[in-house]
Amino acid sequence: MNIKQHITDFSIRQYKTVTVVLVAITIAVMLLAAVPSIWPKAFTAFNPIIVDTDPENMLPADEPVRIFHNQMKKELSLYDMVVVGIVNDKHPDGVFNPETLANIYELTEFSKTLHWTEDGQEVGVVEVDLIAPSTVDNIEQGGLGTVKFEWLMPQPPETKEEALAIRQKAQRIPFLNGTLVSEDGKAICIYLPLTHKHLSYRVYSELQKKIATFSGDEEYHITGLPVAEDTFGVEMFIQMAISAPTAMVVIFVLMLLFFRKLVVIISPMIVAMVSVILTMGVLIIAGFPVHIMSSMIPIFIMPIAVLDSIHIISEFFELYQQTKDRRKTMLKVMDELFVPMLYTSLTSAAGFASLALTPIPPVQVFGLFVAMGIMIAWVLTIIFIPAYIMFVKPQTLEKFGAVHIPNQQEHSTAMGRILHSIGVGTYRRAKPILAVTAIVIIVAVYGMSQININDNPVKWFNKSHPIRVADKVLNEHFGGTYMAYLALTAEDKEFVSEDFIKDFNKQANARAKKLEADFPQAATVFGELQKITVESAKTSQSRKEAFEKISHSVADKFNQATDDIIDAWNEASLFVDQQKQRNQIFKDPAVLKYQAKLQQALLETQIVGKSNSLADIVSTVHRELFEGKDEQYRIPDSSSAVAQCMITYQSSHRAGDLWHFVTPDYRKSSIWAQLTSGDNKDMTKVVQAIDDYIAKNPPPVPLKYEWFGLNYINIVWQQKMVSGMLQAFIGSFLVVFLMMTILFRSALWGLLSMIPLTITIGIIYGVVGLVGKDYDMPVAVLSSMALGLAVDFSIHFLVRSRQMYSSFGTWEKTAPAIFAEPARAITRNVIVIAVGFLPLLLAPLTPYNTVGTLLASILLVSGAATLLILPSLIRVLEKRLFAAKKVLGTGCNCVTCSISSVTLVALIAITLHQYAAVGWDKLTWVSVVAIPVMAISCGLLSRREKCKILNEKEVTKND
Amino acid sequence: MTKKISLAMFVLTLLLSLGGNIVAETEKTGIVAEKSSEEKVLSVEQIVNKTNRVAYYQGSDGSARVKMTITDSQNRQRNRELTILRWDQPDPKLSKEEQSKDDSYCGGQKIYAFFNRPADVYKTVFMVWKHLDKDDDRWMYLPALDLVKRISATDKRTSFVGSHFFYEDISGRSTNDDVHELVKTTKDYYVLKNTPKDPKLVEFAYFEMWIHRKSFVVVKTDYYDKQNKKYRTYEALEVQQIQDKPTVTKAKMTDLRTNGNTILEYSNVKYDIGISESIFTERYLRKPARKYLK
Repeated sequence: MNIKQHITDFSIRQYKTVTVVLVAITIAVMLLAAVPSIWPKAFTAFNPIIVDTDPENMLPADEPVRIFHNQMKKELSLYDMVVVGIVNDKHPDGVFNPETLANIYELTEFSKTLHWTEDGQEVGVVEVDLIAPSTVDNIEQGGLGTVKFEWLMPQPPETKEEALAIRQKAQRIPFLNGTLVSEDGKAICIYLPLTHKHLSYRVYSELQKKIATFSGDEEYHITGLPVAEDTFGVEMFIQMAISAPTAMVVIFVLMLLFFRKLVVIISPMIVAMVSVILTMGVLIIAGFPVHIMSSMIPIFIMPIAVLDSIHIISEFFELYQQTKDRRKTMLKVMDELFVPMLYTSLTSAAGFASLALTPIPPVQVFGLFVAMGIMIAWVLTIIFIPAYIMFVKPQTLEKFGAVHIPNQQEHSTAMGRILHSIGVGTYRRAKPILAVTAIVIIVAVYGMSQININDNPVKWFNKSHPIRVADKVLNEHFGGTYMAYLALTAEDKEFVSEDFIKDFNKQANARAKKLEADFPQAATVFGELQKITVESAKTSQSRKEAFEKISHSVADKFNQATDDIIDAWNEASLFVDQQKQRNQIFKDPAVLKYQAKLQQALLETQIVGKSNSLADIVSTVHRELFEGKDEQYRIPDSSSAVAQCMITYQSSHRAGDLWHFVTPDYRKSSIWAQLTSGDNKDMTKVVQAIDDYIAKNPPPVPLKYEWFGLNYINIVWQQKMVSGMLQAFIGSFLVVFLMMTILFRSALWGLLSMIPLTITIGIIYGVVGLVGKDYDMPVAVLSSMALGLAVDFSIHFLVRSRQMYSSFGTWEKTAPAIFAEPARAITRNVIVIAVGFLPLLLAPLTPYNTVGTLLASILLVSGAATLLILPSLIRVLEKRLFAAKKVLGTGCNCVTCSISSVTLVALIAITLHQYAAVGWDKLTWVSVVAIPVMAISCGLLSRREKCKILNEKEVTKND
Repeated sequence: MTKKISLAMFVLTLLLSLGGNIVAETEKTGIVAEKSSEEKVLSVEQIVNKTNRVAYYQGSDGSARVKMTITDSQNRQRNRELTILRWDQPDPKLSKEEQSKDDSYCGGQKIYAFFNRPADVYKTVFMVWKHLDKDDDRWMYLPALDLVKRISATDKRTSFVGSHFFYEDISGRSTNDDVHELVKTTKDYYVLKNTPKDPKLVEFAYFEMWIHRKSFVVVKTDYYDKQNKKYRTYEALEVQQIQDKPTVTKAKMTDLRTNGNTILEYSNVKYDIGISESIFTERYLRKPARKYLK
């Protein structure tokens, strides 16, 4: 008995023990996962379930772009926002009628109450930064020589005229026009900043409840990226609660159709359930969060888990009636299926596990746990299925398989006949089939070149979803509801005290000269100031420290000064403060004008509908200070004038608004860009436009520019995902190829087995490109999985082909045999998994639809590719394939060994590149050395004594 | 000398109050004083009037240098330095002496705030004519734009030059705008609850003042919103006797929503210096009266 028989024998003998242990483990895992989740406080040592619906977590928390995003959000007191759009198309004055405005006022007041205490902290809507007609200031002319600050809408208006006046006022303010009010006057948006975006669904639901109480012509739309993301998270779980059980039911029904014996098909269902429970249990126990990706784990494990069981049952089904002995039948079945099942499981697992090569944590977790689930399912299948069969009473199995024979006949008439003619066809028309395949490949390659890499969390909802509708309507009326921020940061110069002193003293001398006429003491005082500066600068580490010391000394001097020199010291103190302010670059008119030009460049993309900046605020205040004349909408000419516009602005109700655009040290500023589209490709275009603009028009002072905001984070992780997925795909391709080469002990056969899946992936992605479907997260993730799943069919087909060829001798005779039972098994599997994934189409969330559709297509296409292309290729390559039969052991065939080695080197290189961040240049050099070395070792290995013996043995065996 | 001014003080006179020093002082010497003051029970109106006088009407005029430190929730600080001058409108019906004794007196005032720092707003002036019977007149002089501008606002609850103090905290809220209610009297304090007569003009639902019973200095004021939640707090951190007048020399306003605060520190506080009314005019915005500003 070999090891596989031992295992089967053990579980047949000890079937009760096996079952008890299995049940015990399952219950233990369930308890460990569930109990700390239900009573997290009582079981602090264990991890409760963590739900993570935040797409930001597609990037690790320490990713530079996220750190920068959070830092800038903090420095500029920016929050993620829920956007409530109110549209009135029915009233001639749009939303600007007393009734609608009264509702908006009420909704604003209501949203101020949306905060709660969570872990002792106040969370919810940030009232001070709420943007609504009743919470923003209007600045305008208030009579001759008067500038007026007032709430835009302190109370809801009572008359038509008052209502229209609000529109007219708001549209005069650039910050509000296109942001708060639409240019057509039909809509108003209110912006609710949140302390944390995870609250957005809660806020969303509360607002919905409130809105339901309003009567009026207006429509309410709630949107904003946080709402989309958070709502998606909530709906995702509802979806999974529906989709996973539906998939279960569908698979169950299908199997019932195939085998017609309830008692037998229950066992695969148990295997599937237990695999899911164990995998998800371990995921939770290990403390990994359940993310959008990991929520899909059950639906992936289930169909794959039942596959192996189907094989066992199929075989058992075929053979049972021959012996009527459960034990003997089972031993025979397991003996035949052990290796193919191991390989199909390993390859599927490898396909998923390769996702660990992507730099996206949720995808890594997903890949590894699905891989784990597949292996758990494999272990369960080989241990539990035989044990389960022992529980089934022989009487129950009495008719089992007996019904099957006429049934089998039916099959050969329906599916069987089609398969048979395919088999014959592939033999007769091998070359035409291959020619068509070549054309398909060319079209697919063209299709792939058309692939549009893009994602948009809002488009995760289907078109009729309220969030999707809101998104469409509001972006028609406004400058855009997707926020991205362009941060401009002054570059810090290194502090060199000598340079500092030199510069300071030069300025001081110049000033002293100017002052001489009015202040006779100026020369003396400024001389003393220079001495103070030298001392202070030499003992300081930074510009800030130096100025602190100088200011301090000058203040002392001023306070002790006698009447004759006090004025001169006052001038000196003023001079010091002026010098200190010189690095406040965002008061520099040139910099603000540059900012305005950047905004212009943003608008020219046609994607940014509106932007807001410090330059807008300063220009608006300047205009109102000069009688509200349009030509005065400009940046004043000196930095003092800019500062004085700002201080005027700060005398409003919302003094803090300035700090959303610039930091109090005036060294960092950000432009708010409102995009009308949340598509990553559009954000990418905007980023590109600004890169180009800045390259052509360098800023007047050294400035760093960097994007932040959720829209920008999305494109960063998308870029990582695309390159990461490509690496994952190449990685898993190499792994599977290596495994195939080892399985068949031939590189040629290994290569052959990779062809159907390669063509499948080519076709699928070609179609994705041709039909214009965006290459988004689910599409990207699928490539690696497709590989793991599709290779299964090749394995079964080729393993059986080789076995049968050895008894038939020619492919002509083998083909019809292959297209009998083995082809039927493959077809059956294609149907079970493809249909098993179809419940995903019921989900109203598009990523699930995409996954469902694509997986079903992948399985169908790869099934077809296996059954059409492989036999055609074998027909053409018959001599080559079956000539090299003598070889045994990968090390004994020089070519196979060399190819395997190169594969291994490439695999290691990819892994190193991904994890150890080793550059490609270095890896290339290492590979250049490693490959010849390995090739030589291969040559030596294949000339070993052992190989000769093995080869001879093989020859004898075949004889 | 018809008008001898009794109390004085202005100082960007916020709600004046008692800080650590004085509180400690009165507690030591307080027992006798307590009893004597205990004897006469003051009406709510009397408390309101005395408090208002101590907060905004000490002396017939005054000047002070003010250092303003604005700190945000991230501990980032900004400083402003200004000189503030105040002049009280004499009541023609009363002699200065009578006026000084009449707690209910509360006339018009003129305020002149001159910015020294930061350097880029140097010489900026903010001027107010406070009227009792109509909206205040406010001016701003912006030297870099060579512009004198009248500022009009429908309410007085706008930020004072970007600080956490409101314009109304500086100029004083009219006692007629609120309904006053004595909620409790502790050993040292009267606690007064003030509810606005017209809630539409203000952002608070009510505010509570802790008034020191002996000096009538406001030690603390808490502002509550419509959900009865405290969102803003004023505290007097330091009080000195200047020219025999209890004077808040350090005060803090905290915004509990944003966790930012502004601290005002007063130095060179002087009362009754005889400031001429004429300097509180548009002409003097461009050419400030240097002698008062030193």
